[in-house]
Amino acid sequence: MAARDLIRELRRAIGAAAVRDDPASTTVYARDASHQVSGRPACVALPATVDDLGRVVAVCARDGRPFVVRGGGTGLAGGALPSGGAVVIATSRLTRLGEVDAEWRHVRVEPGVFNAAVSRKAAAYGLCFAPDPSSQAAATIGGNIATNAGGPHCLKVGVTSQHVRRVEWFDPEGRRWASGRGCALDRGPDLRGLFCGSEGTLGVICNADLELCPLPESTATLLAEFPRLRDAAAAVIDLARARIEPQACEIIDQTMLEAVAEAFAFPLATDVEAVMICELAGAAGAVDDAAARAGHALRAAGARRVEVGRDTASRERLWQCRKQAFGAVGRLSPSYISQDVVVPLEALPELVGDIEAIRRDQRVTIATAWHAGDGNLHPGIHFDDRDPDAAARARQVADAISLRAIALGGSCTGEHGIGLEKRHLIGRQLDRTALRLMQGIKDLCDPAGICNPGKVLPPPGDGTAAQPVPVRVDFRWESLTVTAPADVPLAELQSEAMTRGYWIPVGAAYRGRVAAPGLGGDLTVGAMIDAGTTGPSLLGSLRPTDAILALWAESGDGEVFRAGTATLKDVAGYDLVRLLVGSGGMLAKPLAASLRLRPLPAAVGIWSWPDVPPFFPSACRREFMGVLRRHEHPALAVRSPHLDGSLLWVLAAGYGRGGDLDRLQADLETWSEDHGLARPHGGRDAFAAVGRASLLAGLPTWAVAAPDWTLLTRRETLPDWPRPRRLIWQAQPEMLWMPEAPAEEPVGWIADNVFRDGKLQWPPPPPPSVPYRLLAGLKRLFDPHLRLPCPGWLQAILAEAAR
Amino acid sequence: MIGPTDTTRLDQLLRRCVHCGLCLPHCATYLASGDETLSPRGRLLLLGEVLAGRLPPDAPAVAQAFDRCLGCLACSAVCPSGISAELLACAREIGRRADRWRRFALANLLDRRPVLHIVRRVTAWARAVLARLGGVEWRARLAAAPRPVAGLARLVGAVPTSPHRDRDLVSLLDHLTGGVLADAAPRSTVRVAPAAPAAGLRLVWFRGCADAALLPGTAARLRELLAACGCALVDPPGQVCCGAIASHSGRPARKRRLRARNLAALRAPLAACDCLVVAAAGCGLELSDDSAAFGDKVRDAAVVLDQILPAALGSLSLRIAVHEPCHLRHGLGAAAALRRVLARIDGVEVLEAAEVDVCCGSAGVYALRHRELSRAMGRRKAAMLAATGCDLVVTTSPGCLGQIADGLAFVAPSLPIVPLSDLLWYAWFHGARVVPRKLLLDT
Repeated sequence: MAARDLIRELRRAIGAAAVRDDPASTTVYARDASHQVSGRPACVALPATVDDLGRVVAVCARDGRPFVVRGGGTGLAGGALPSGGAVVIATSRLTRLGEVDAEWRHVRVEPGVFNAAVSRKAAAYGLCFAPDPSSQAAATIGGNIATNAGGPHCLKVGVTSQHVRRVEWFDPEGRRWASGRGCALDRGPDLRGLFCGSEGTLGVICNADLELCPLPESTATLLAEFPRLRDAAAAVIDLARARIEPQACEIIDQTMLEAVAEAFAFPLATDVEAVMICELAGAAGAVDDAAARAGHALRAAGARRVEVGRDTASRERLWQCRKQAFGAVGRLSPSYISQDVVVPLEALPELVGDIEAIRRDQRVTIATAWHAGDGNLHPGIHFDDRDPDAAARARQVADAISLRAIALGGSCTGEHGIGLEKRHLIGRQLDRTALRLMQGIKDLCDPAGICNPGKVLPPPGDGTAAQPVPVRVDFRWESLTVTAPADVPLAELQSEAMTRGYWIPVGAAYRGRVAAPGLGGDLTVGAMIDAGTTGPSLLGSLRPTDAILALWAESGDGEVFRAGTATLKDVAGYDLVRLLVGSGGMLAKPLAASLRLRPLPAAVGIWSWPDVPPFFPSACRREFMGVLRRHEHPALAVRSPHLDGSLLWVLAAGYGRGGDLDRLQADLETWSEDHGLARPHGGRDAFAAVGRASLLAGLPTWAVAAPDWTLLTRRETLPDWPRPRRLIWQAQPEMLWMPEAPAEEPVGWIADNVFRDGKLQWPPPPPPSVPYRLLAGLKRLFDPHLRLPCPGWLQAILAEAAR
Repeated sequence: MIGPTDTTRLDQLLRRCVHCGLCLPHCATYLASGDETLSPRGRLLLLGEVLAGRLPPDAPAVAQAFDRCLGCLACSAVCPSGISAELLACAREIGRRADRWRRFALANLLDRRPVLHIVRRVTAWARAVLARLGGVEWRARLAAAPRPVAGLARLVGAVPTSPHRDRDLVSLLDHLTGGVLADAAPRSTVRVAPAAPAAGLRLVWFRGCADAALLPGTAARLRELLAACGCALVDPPGQVCCGAIASHSGRPARKRRLRARNLAALRAPLAACDCLVVAAAGCGLELSDDSAAFGDKVRDAAVVLDQILPAALGSLSLRIAVHEPCHLRHGLGAAAALRRVLARIDGVEVLEAAEVDVCCGSAGVYALRHRELSRAMGRRKAAMLAATGCDLVVTTSPGCLGQIADGLAFVAPSLPIVPLSDLLWYAWFHGARVVPRKLLLDT
């Protein structure tokens, strides 16, 4: 179709006023926040409803016309730039924000909603949306999902993919799909995880179910001045070593400090090489303690002055300076290239030294802001674009820094995405097989190649050689990662980590006599990857998919590839890690993995009630659940039928010097009194005790290890607990486990029989809103000869298609 | 016209735009339309293309994008590079040439007080007729009527209005606050007057046009309040419009004439007085920009009231949402005075609306020139204010008053909006009815 006909078709579909082809629109929508230029769009469509969005995609599909979706246009990698003659689909009118479900901590949003608007609405319920990139006031949720956005406060709570439960999208033919049920743990190939970070190249997101986090009770922000930049970089590692988990840890270098101080008239010191902003949050007592320890650690690392701020106004002002820094640097020079490298923490000082050397040699201005706690730097290379030499030199410097980061085991992009800007670098970071698989995924989702073409993936054939698979356990304490082959039991890794005061936060594990899932959680790393869970997790704060940073795997035909990078953040290419974790080994066989380490909780509280009624009336149950959810660290309840009643246990992790567990104990005692129950027995113990049989000895044997486990996740309203039965309830993310394979699904719950006789079972078939054809295509892509295990329903589809 | 030296300077300023997009969520035209050409970032991109000669300035879409800029200054308050105000003024100048004839007509009429007096009378009559036709919610109901009637209803609905007679204002606010007074005990029939006012402030009263002509009741009450606070008010004859409309319409000759007439009328009295008190923020900004003429003696009425009102201003139980006019917030930087003044009334709870810094879309004659867009902005603002759950909205600009009243009529018809000075007048003269027990014992 000629452009004129296309525009007429679009106007017929969504109304004349919503389609613009005038020179003003095509000029403005050809640019985004990056300094890249691409092509001129044929027209701009501004659908006002999700249905209109689908119609636009369908029209483009019929025409075979490339399109690109644009939210706030705040992306820094050029991901929203149209190719010549493409259609720009703006989501700026899709701004409906659903009601916040405070109990389930969930909200449904359209893709054009501002990130900050979600947090503003959720604040009334004491909740927030954790990913907070600097652009959050203008960036949209659709864009956040597309780039798997991070932000300073993602250090503790994770990036966007950890806070999205479900996405709905239009495929590049205009049909609408969903990624799954949106449960706390949706096993199977994780399409939701695949979409996060896919940069708008696999489909057009039209709705998202977001998970909200509770706002911390108390916050302290430390401002530390470092005369030497290298000391600041090393201080990040020192904080990790001191087992301090900041909510955010940012560094601003001297060049950027000068620009920021001038722009905002904020009294930041400009005579030091770096300023660090470190934010600690949690319960009041714990925060004071952590702030004192952090201040001490930073001074020991070389800080000239450490100031602790507690009042909201000054904290907000400080964060405004940090977040608007990338705008303030416009004063330094007309143009700049903003980078987004990430390296393992232990390599930070070296990278900093390298950047310094490059800066001196090339005589360029570099202003850097860092999400230091993640090892993620944003060096901005400034140049005058009127000088063609300067532009080329800046590009060379940028590439040199990215390649250095990759050589140090890092990634060329931690949160901005590959977009247009780094397509030539991704082939230096990922291996050929991984890139081939990613191209295969792209071809499956978008056979006509019209969905944001020319982004992310390099030309075919690019990529490094296959990298050696780790064969030994390798703890990197300073980088907070551990790499291990798949056949290593999780318990072994946990017990070694615990000796140093760390653990893998998926839940404790210990070597019991029976190697079976349960609170003991004795699985191998590979089994955990296939299952996507360890069974009921003993006080883990992360699901396995959020704890695995990199994965070496073997496809069905024996090709080995690496997914992800062993850094704390990475968005280079599609998220194959999340796709594979929980897929039951149907796509690839895990060979080795890199996992996160976090400081071990200081203490565990364990309380028991010898005799409770066989079931709780709903008000009583809701209060109980509320008590456990108010506790800011993982907590769980175990209930076991006993004679005419039940036995009840509560276990909870504590990080502050006991303060938070004391409060939980008081709350549990109040709850018991209010509902006529006896006071609980029990108290505190050091957390390392969970690794020993003694702590778990008080619990029933079935809870520690059982051959059968069924996971119940609820649909949206709050149903009754099944009764009277043995069960384990995890407070956050909410999951209910039963040590049996029930014949029927309890009312209001979705049942997933995860383990039977100790063997991993397939999850139930996905609902029809999930694209079965895509799942079948993924299976054939990763395992063309069907050598790997396959669930029955998928086998049937593959057989059908073959016929 | 933009000369070559200007172009270099503008080019330099434009280069400081890093296209970060932080201006977008504060731009009322972008929020209401979703169209990035109607955003500061978009307008600056287009300005760059026009200055470089790659786009003709009179291309319809380009001129429209420039022309639809409100000049509210919300973007410059958040721009990290601090550049947008001057550049957008230049863009508006370019866009102006696109709409010359309508601008001419409006600019020549709407800044004349006699015309506005007629408008007020006609509108009041028309309102009565339309209310009879469509009932109390005539604005919403008649929006669906055939074109001429609907158009008339819209036009009439957009004209700012406030209670003309004191007793109408009193009964409106009594109705809102009445419940509390009935509960409070003990009641006394003696009215406890506020503490002795600060004596001796001499003020020159600036009549303005919209204020004097469209809201005469409010103007009279404000003067009464200022006098009750111990100020001596001088109202020199011969004052005319401040010239904002003429100056924003690109009619510098008219603006010069108006300025000369105002100077002749006000200069001498102002020399003998402390300051020139201006009720509407837009006029205040226009006059204070002209430091050669009036010096820095121009004061917004809210700022003056903040200075002279006693610390306790009676007792009312009300939940109030405040709309800060752009010229007050971004231009004069005096938004805090509004809040401080309200804080003096015991029992008033100020609720914060979302998008507090986003323009309501009134912007002088903008509402008449870009009706659809202005209406969308007005409704959006009204929705944000209504969402706070307040009992009353207050503002200090007649333009904002009319615009938001129009929006509220569709979004939250039972929510009233009054000028701030009317609320203060009420609090002063009618609010101090409850006598605290302690004071009773002391007398």
